[in-house]
Amino acid sequence: MHDLLPHISESLSNVLGSIIYFMPEVYLGLLFIVVLITDLIFGKRSTKLCRIVASAGLVLVMFKDLQQVALILDGPHLIFSNMLLLSRSGIFFKLIIDLLSFILLLYFTWDNKLKAHQKGLSDLYSIAMASVLGLHLMVMAVNLLSIYLAIEMVSIASYLMVAYRTENAFSTEAGLKYVLFGAASSAIMLYGISLLYGFSGTLDLADTIGQLSKVNPISSSFAVVLVLIGIGFKLSFVPIHFWVPDVYQGAPTPVTAYLSTVPKIAAFALLINFLSPFILASSWKGFDIGIALSIAGIVTMIAGNFAAVMQSNVKRMLAYSSIGHTGFALMAVVILTVQGVSVLTYYLFVYALANIGALVLANYFTNETGAEEVDDYRGLGLKYPTASVCFVIILISLTGLPVTAGFTGKLFVFSAVYSVYEQTHSIWLMLLMFTGALTTVVSLFYYIKIPMNLFLKRKEIAEINNKKSHNLLILSILISFMLVLLGIFPDLVLRYL
Amino acid sequence: MNILTLLIFIPVLFGLIIALLPSSVRSSFKYITLLATLIQLGISIWIYIHFKTGTAYGGINHEDQFQFVQKLPWIALNLGSMGKMQIDYFVGIDGMSITLLVMTSLVLVIATLSSWEIKSNLKGFFLLFLLLDMAVIGVFCALDFFLFYLFYELMLLPLYFLIGMWGGARREYAAIKFFLYTLFGSVFMLLVMVGLYLSVTDPATGNHTFNIIQMMNPANYSGQSIFSIAGHQTILGMPARTVGFVVLFIAFAIKVPVVPLHTWLPDAHVEAPTPVSIILAGILLKIGGYGIIRICLGIFPEVATTGAFWLGLLGVISILYGAFNALSQRDLKRMIAYSSVSHMGFVLLGIASQTAEGVSGAVMQMVSHGFLSTMLFFLVGVLYNRVHDRGIQHFRGLGSLMPKYTAFVMIAFFASLGLPGFSAFVAEAFTLAGAFKSPTVNGLLPYWMAVCGAVGILLGAAYFLWTLQRMFFGTESLKGGAVWKIALTDLNLREKLTLAPLALIALALGIMPSLVFDKINDSVLALIQFLQLK
Repeated sequence: MHDLLPHISESLSNVLGSIIYFMPEVYLGLLFIVVLITDLIFGKRSTKLCRIVASAGLVLVMFKDLQQVALILDGPHLIFSNMLLLSRSGIFFKLIIDLLSFILLLYFTWDNKLKAHQKGLSDLYSIAMASVLGLHLMVMAVNLLSIYLAIEMVSIASYLMVAYRTENAFSTEAGLKYVLFGAASSAIMLYGISLLYGFSGTLDLADTIGQLSKVNPISSSFAVVLVLIGIGFKLSFVPIHFWVPDVYQGAPTPVTAYLSTVPKIAAFALLINFLSPFILASSWKGFDIGIALSIAGIVTMIAGNFAAVMQSNVKRMLAYSSIGHTGFALMAVVILTVQGVSVLTYYLFVYALANIGALVLANYFTNETGAEEVDDYRGLGLKYPTASVCFVIILISLTGLPVTAGFTGKLFVFSAVYSVYEQTHSIWLMLLMFTGALTTVVSLFYYIKIPMNLFLKRKEIAEINNKKSHNLLILSILISFMLVLLGIFPDLVLRYL
Repeated sequence: MNILTLLIFIPVLFGLIIALLPSSVRSSFKYITLLATLIQLGISIWIYIHFKTGTAYGGINHEDQFQFVQKLPWIALNLGSMGKMQIDYFVGIDGMSITLLVMTSLVLVIATLSSWEIKSNLKGFFLLFLLLDMAVIGVFCALDFFLFYLFYELMLLPLYFLIGMWGGARREYAAIKFFLYTLFGSVFMLLVMVGLYLSVTDPATGNHTFNIIQMMNPANYSGQSIFSIAGHQTILGMPARTVGFVVLFIAFAIKVPVVPLHTWLPDAHVEAPTPVSIILAGILLKIGGYGIIRICLGIFPEVATTGAFWLGLLGVISILYGAFNALSQRDLKRMIAYSSVSHMGFVLLGIASQTAEGVSGAVMQMVSHGFLSTMLFFLVGVLYNRVHDRGIQHFRGLGSLMPKYTAFVMIAFFASLGLPGFSAFVAEAFTLAGAFKSPTVNGLLPYWMAVCGAVGILLGAAYFLWTLQRMFFGTESLKGGAVWKIALTDLNLREKLTLAPLALIALALGIMPSLVFDKINDSVLALIQFLQLK
């Protein structure tokens, strides 16, 4: 104890000095408490108020994110005794997460089923705030301990959200499945972390790598694989993707929109944080992580897209398609260049926007007509022309055809991978690109099912009592507009990344 | 305002008007669309008249020789270690595009006129039509690969809906088949495009560029880049440039269509409504041919020369296979669809010969086939609108029932089978002259290919004449009996006004092929010279 005394003041000043690099998270923490208290004070009728507080607070957090850009002009900063890393790419990941969360917070009450929940949605807002805080930490974590804590924070919030409204056996099952698989994968990851700690005697990633060179490569590889499984669970790449379809289909649609986008973006940021030292350090003697990720990417693209072809439920189809997109995004992780990270950010942003848009529209049609299956959409195109045209634009963007943001995203990922291929001539990169192009065609095949049912199939539609979900419609129009705009002028966003 | 930009985006402008108008005035939509296409036709004729000729305007691989050029910086991204990415809004035309542009504008007018048959959901139809209009004009004008690709892909979605929503019984199948086929070609084209742009730097700015013309200059390729000529890189063990050429060729060959990638065409044609069939046959197929000339030959000339035999072989197979299939069809529209496959085979044969005659013939064939296939599909549409049947065996002796119609059918059939005096004769004669010349001049194609091409013309005559005999001659006998007889009225004024200019143009181009050749000659010579120099 006495030995540590001299370090106390040093540690304290480190912590205090780190706080200015931690302002968005401090605000988020406060926001969580404020939303929680609002909920407690105003009780059941506080949904509206919580929503306003949470959304306004997130705008403030975004503002704080932007302010951080000025802090790291001289390069990335390690804060809280190397627990967290504040880098330029990290700030943009956080900004995107906050922006998308803001959209999603607005969207929560627009789902008729979720709105009808007797308990009210105020709890959901406090859970969401905590989850966003966890996502921020995930983006910044560079220490094995902070990685685990951040992931757990997000996971627990996600479990609650998935099971927030369990209307039937199917969604209850989905909630339980998610908790069980999530807990198991956390345990596996924790085991991996404990092995790494045991091998190296430190939790700091950069130090760990140096120590691991003295360990048997098979054992250290095993430990790393276990940690990757934990991260991969959040990312939902094959072979740890099996929970995705059930959970996405069973969860309330806004929650699905949440789960399929923001945690995924944060998990990619975390994956980059975790892998950079392994790929950059020459002392790593275990398995070739680049090749392992390439294989995972290829298999994920193929499995996700081909499985999606066979789906008839819209949300389930979008779930499989999001697995496919994970595989595509892994391509940009494999190369791990500065360029790769910025195109990955762009790709994920565009994907998330389009995916939210697609789920918003699926929600719109469920609200209006009760349609859940692709077949239920038959003939609705002429009845709801605006929503259907937006749906087409959004699906085209997900497929990656011009003139939409999805196309530019795909193009930039291909460019980044190609430029690395030019130097290394790695056959894996070629295979990744080939699979990426091939699965684009496959993805068209299932995405087009929705426009096909909307417009091509004809059905006499009985009078529908219009419930008019205007908000959802406006949101989807805005998203479609953004996607087309970014399709024509991608540098509006990309130039900052 | 650049005249080409105006030409490309006029449809969008009119599309916006249609989008904003209420559905209560839906009967005016066709007139608005007609006005848009007529203005386009006027502009393109103006461009045609003011198009300068001479060796200083050859185009192909000289950026300064293109006309009506507009070049604006569009997307400029700093890509760190990869240098800068430069995408321009770059449009311009040379001899290869000008005649196709005029042909396209006219075909679009005809397609609009044939849209009178569309009765349901007019707003959607004309909006998609105008979007497609913009895309096809854009493809012929774009000189930046990114822009080209954008327009190229932008055609797919409107076509999917046009076939799928207003088509026949099996429209869903035909639409998705068409979409998947073309997308399959173009996603791999995207990979080659990315590879090319990373290989090529603009000498003026030092940025990576999508400029097609800069891609034609071997000096612009950096030494270690994947598509560099000097680098001799390989992809999966095959020479990279060959792979690039093949991928691009497949993408365009699907559009042309070249046997064995043609199977989407008969389905799409049979299911599509008449205006869409007209656009498909008249314009879309030419985009394939145009792409092969501008992009495959332009960017990979040395691969095109070494692979000329295979191109020619595919061309000959298309000619013969298409013709034999046409002979055996029972559906009139399907017969004409296969005749398109056969006729477009000549384009490929002409291009493969790499002689001035062959390439001129190929371009002429594209122009001529654009007009003639439009006429043929319009004629099928006339029949189908009246009795909703197209079976060749279901009609007999139409000649006495619909004399004016029969007259136009005979003009279209005789022009298509290559009767001297019509455009197809000139085109096919030049193509075959090129193919016959090739063995002695550059040794790319053997004699038997030219002979097979000639046999193809003979087969063409066979299926057209046989159809004429079965459907129009002989005693009157209709499957539908008296009901059909009442329904089968002769051509009305609108139809006559549509068909007459097409027949006249087919004749005019046959008598005065210089209308086309004068404009394309400099570019053809420049291309041949470019191919020889490499």
